[in-house]
Amino acid sequence: MAKYIAQRIVAMLLTLFIIITIGFMVIRLMPGGIFDEAVDMTFEQKAALEAKYNLDKPIPIQYALFLKGLVLEGDWGTSLKMHINVPVWDIIKTKIPVTLYINFFALLISLPLGIAFGIVAAIRKNTMTDYLISFMVVIFISVPSFIFATLLQYFVAFRAGWFPIIFDATSVGFEKFRGLALPILALSLGPIARVTRYLRAELAETINSDFMLLAKTKGLTERQATINHGIRNSMLPLMNIIVPMFTGIMGGSLVIETIFSIPGMGGIMVKSINAPDYTVTLAALIFYSLISLITVLIVDLSYGIIDPRVRMGGKK
Amino acid sequence: MEPILSVKDLSVSFNAFAGTVHAVRDVNFDLMKGETLAIVGESGSGKSVTTKAILGILAKNGHIDSGTIMYQGEDMAKYKEKEFYKIRGKKISLVFQDPLSALNPIMKIGKQITEALILSKSIEKSKAKGRAIELMEAVGIPNAAERYEAYPFQFSGGMRQRIVIAIALASNPEILICDEPTTALDVTIQARILELINEMKRERDLSVIFITHDLGVVANMADRVCVMYAGRIVEVGTCEDIFYRPAHPYTWALLSAMPDLHTEETLFAIPGAPPNMLHPPKGDAFAARNRYAMKIDFEKEPPYFKISDTHYAATWLLHPDAPKVEMPDILKHRIARMREEAERG
Amino acid sequence: MAKFYSSDAPEYQVGKEQFEFVQMQGDIADETFKDKPIGFFKDAMLRFCRSKISIVAFVGIVLVITLSLVVPFISRWDYNDQDLNRINLPPKMPVLENAGILDGTRWLTNRRVDGLGDTNRYPEGSILRVINHRMVQGVEMCDIKVDYYKYSGVEEGTYFWMGTDYLGRDLWVRMWRGARVSLAIAFISVICNVCIGIVYGSIAGYYGGKVDMLMMRITEIIGSFPEIVVVTLFILFFGTGMLSICLCLVVQNWIGTARMIRSQFYRYKGSEYVLAARTLGVKDMALIFRHILPNSIGPIITRAMIAVPSAIFTESFLAYIGLGIRAPESSIGVLLSQGQKVMQQYPNQVFFPAVVISLLMIAFNMLSNGLRDAFDPTQRGA
Repeated sequence: MAKYIAQRIVAMLLTLFIIITIGFMVIRLMPGGIFDEAVDMTFEQKAALEAKYNLDKPIPIQYALFLKGLVLEGDWGTSLKMHINVPVWDIIKTKIPVTLYINFFALLISLPLGIAFGIVAAIRKNTMTDYLISFMVVIFISVPSFIFATLLQYFVAFRAGWFPIIFDATSVGFEKFRGLALPILALSLGPIARVTRYLRAELAETINSDFMLLAKTKGLTERQATINHGIRNSMLPLMNIIVPMFTGIMGGSLVIETIFSIPGMGGIMVKSINAPDYTVTLAALIFYSLISLITVLIVDLSYGIIDPRVRMGGKK
Repeated sequence: MEPILSVKDLSVSFNAFAGTVHAVRDVNFDLMKGETLAIVGESGSGKSVTTKAILGILAKNGHIDSGTIMYQGEDMAKYKEKEFYKIRGKKISLVFQDPLSALNPIMKIGKQITEALILSKSIEKSKAKGRAIELMEAVGIPNAAERYEAYPFQFSGGMRQRIVIAIALASNPEILICDEPTTALDVTIQARILELINEMKRERDLSVIFITHDLGVVANMADRVCVMYAGRIVEVGTCEDIFYRPAHPYTWALLSAMPDLHTEETLFAIPGAPPNMLHPPKGDAFAARNRYAMKIDFEKEPPYFKISDTHYAATWLLHPDAPKVEMPDILKHRIARMREEAERG
Repeated sequence: MAKFYSSDAPEYQVGKEQFEFVQMQGDIADETFKDKPIGFFKDAMLRFCRSKISIVAFVGIVLVITLSLVVPFISRWDYNDQDLNRINLPPKMPVLENAGILDGTRWLTNRRVDGLGDTNRYPEGSILRVINHRMVQGVEMCDIKVDYYKYSGVEEGTYFWMGTDYLGRDLWVRMWRGARVSLAIAFISVICNVCIGIVYGSIAGYYGGKVDMLMMRITEIIGSFPEIVVVTLFILFFGTGMLSICLCLVVQNWIGTARMIRSQFYRYKGSEYVLAARTLGVKDMALIFRHILPNSIGPIITRAMIAVPSAIFTESFLAYIGLGIRAPESSIGVLLSQGQKVMQQYPNQVFFPAVVISLLMIAFNMLSNGLRDAFDPTQRGA
């Protein structure tokens, strides 16, 4: 098991390194100098600035310096457009918590809700309840999260006035939650539907499996058999969709943060792309890579916990 | 002798996409205490469905149309799901065809054996482990104490079937239903599992319903045999009746199709395919494939003709007006050989 | 009821002529099939047509495609005709306007009552209702409902079915032009995905062994990059043209198709019929394309259909974060992100594209469900 964990972590760091490298190269190889648009600066001023930020050196050296700074000192570089001369880390460090908050909150409420609806639909397969759930599932899976965000913002926040239209960054406690409730809801609807659909299919199949039949013939009630044998077995394949689901949530949150003016990483990334302020963009990209890679890692490790066949190195 | 389980006029059908499938039609049999009753027939003849109906585990689209299943003075055909809980596993147990898929892949073996005992509170949790290990030893699992903590994927097919048998026996049932318990196993393992079932039956005074399509297995296991075709029992008798004095042309065909060491001619194959149970044919279902079919076979379902106290067959050939037909020569020779072997062995 | 024979039951007194063998002579042949064989596609089509929902979805998609092809040609305005005299008009449709919806009116709040007579600001007949008279700091104010078309001085008899945007462009034309662009992006990227996936998956699956291991390793590496990051970097590097948006949708998405094809190959390449063809000397290419690949046609089509809505989603996503199609070109995503900014004042500008994209996504999902059931009935209802 320890070896397995170590392998996964090394693989993750390697992927991260490749992403940082490619990201850095792509951004630095973009045509045009970073200060080209700054018409009010003299040539000498630009040269001085470029020298200050190592922009005059060859790209491999710039990259080496960047990596060195990042790894040794946690130095993410300096913002060049949005907040001139402010270290990137200072810009993003206040933004990270709120983004993590809405992303993980969305994930954490989607799983239990999706599982619950999935179980109900599977057990009541081909009844009205099932049809109703399946109908909702199709709608929530199909309609993009930012459409829900827009609709919720218009009807629930603007017209009905039950929730703030945009998030107030200074709010705390319950008010903060109230401000984030609609974005989280908009982000969760799709994932809930995904989990529901997947679990329904898996559980419906597991319910018809031989070991469920055996569980029943050895005297377990329908309910005991479903809980003890059905659900845990159908959770296994559910792990497969958590990663793509979380990626979906993150993509959605990029847009939804902008819609609700939430000062998070998504907003920072969008602004930095449009500024353009590439040191910040790079930092945002690394942030998003890191959390999705960590999610993959957690899911991989959970496999080992849930499935003894993986843990004990047996055949899959 | 008292029958312990008595099935009367049982009919089961399934609502399928294309229509209603009449899988079991008017099946009758008694299971005597301590005997092994074999139900023989080809795939789709309704033998598994019959046993699933007894345990109330028919697929959701299946239901009992008519008939009674009497056990301990109660009609199980009328049972609701809840009432089956006191029967399943405790009084009547089932051993599955495929031990590979019958065990929960992510639950420890020991837990799978004791689960039902603990949940039904028939044993204390602390004693459950000892009981499970005892059972595992009884069904011939070496190092049972260590294996208690193992998972199914760490076992071979034969070992898994032993576990399934242990699970079936966990609550000391009276009746054991074995649904083709050896079909999915290697030939070398089959004999040992059959031996184990026989041993368990003797030790625990079980009554066994043994479902198979393999007549060779039947000869070793059964006291009495029901031959099923297209959802009906076409012939029933003791092992001797069926093997030495078969009366139904379908039984003849089955016996002729059984390979043995002396077969030199091409093995006999029954022509045609079983009827579509969406529309069971009028008359004798086997008529279309039967060389000895008569006009009436296509028009009227044959009743059971009594041959002896233990032996009945549903074929018009036994009607006093029917032409006298002998079984095919090839089968006669074969039966003669079987008798010889039986006397020698 | 099971019946037992007894010699005195009249039921069993049967005429002697009935006991006559009828098939003693000749072989009893296996029954020949009476039904005509149905081809794979015909069978799938029959099953598909049985599902009403799939048919509705299919019709819906065809309708959207038709509108997106036809509307930009026959409309009075081009998608980029700007006119600052008619900005942000509300939607107005013939027929429906008489029913009081989509009639080109709008509520204007906090107007000075004494200014209402000014025909320069409020052309004759433009004010339909005045309510809510009140005094605010000594000035009499009110809310009015105006015929916004007259109010803006737009020519009589002009209809903008979905209204206009902040540059006075007709949103109806832009909607369908945008749908066309989004669908084109989706279809092109999906076709690329499928082609690359088939070739890659076939090679890996057919040859197996080391080739397969290496090729699958590569897909694993590509697949391990987070999608948002890949897409963003790709667009940053190649620019925001339609082509680069199409391609960025291909970078990772072909992997799924390739894996599916590969597993199909593993399933079928060891089967007897392939072995038989091989012993008869059928060449590799023929084996791949004639004998193995056709098995995957169903899953491929289903997969392609489900990839279309996700491509449309990504296109809108890019438009939202400012990496999408550039103005003045239209796309569903562009309309959504522009409309979203003015949602509180002019909800129609985001409402219509939101409805169209939602219906389109639902229709594609329904269609792919229907196709999956049609091609693989064992999956029905899963």
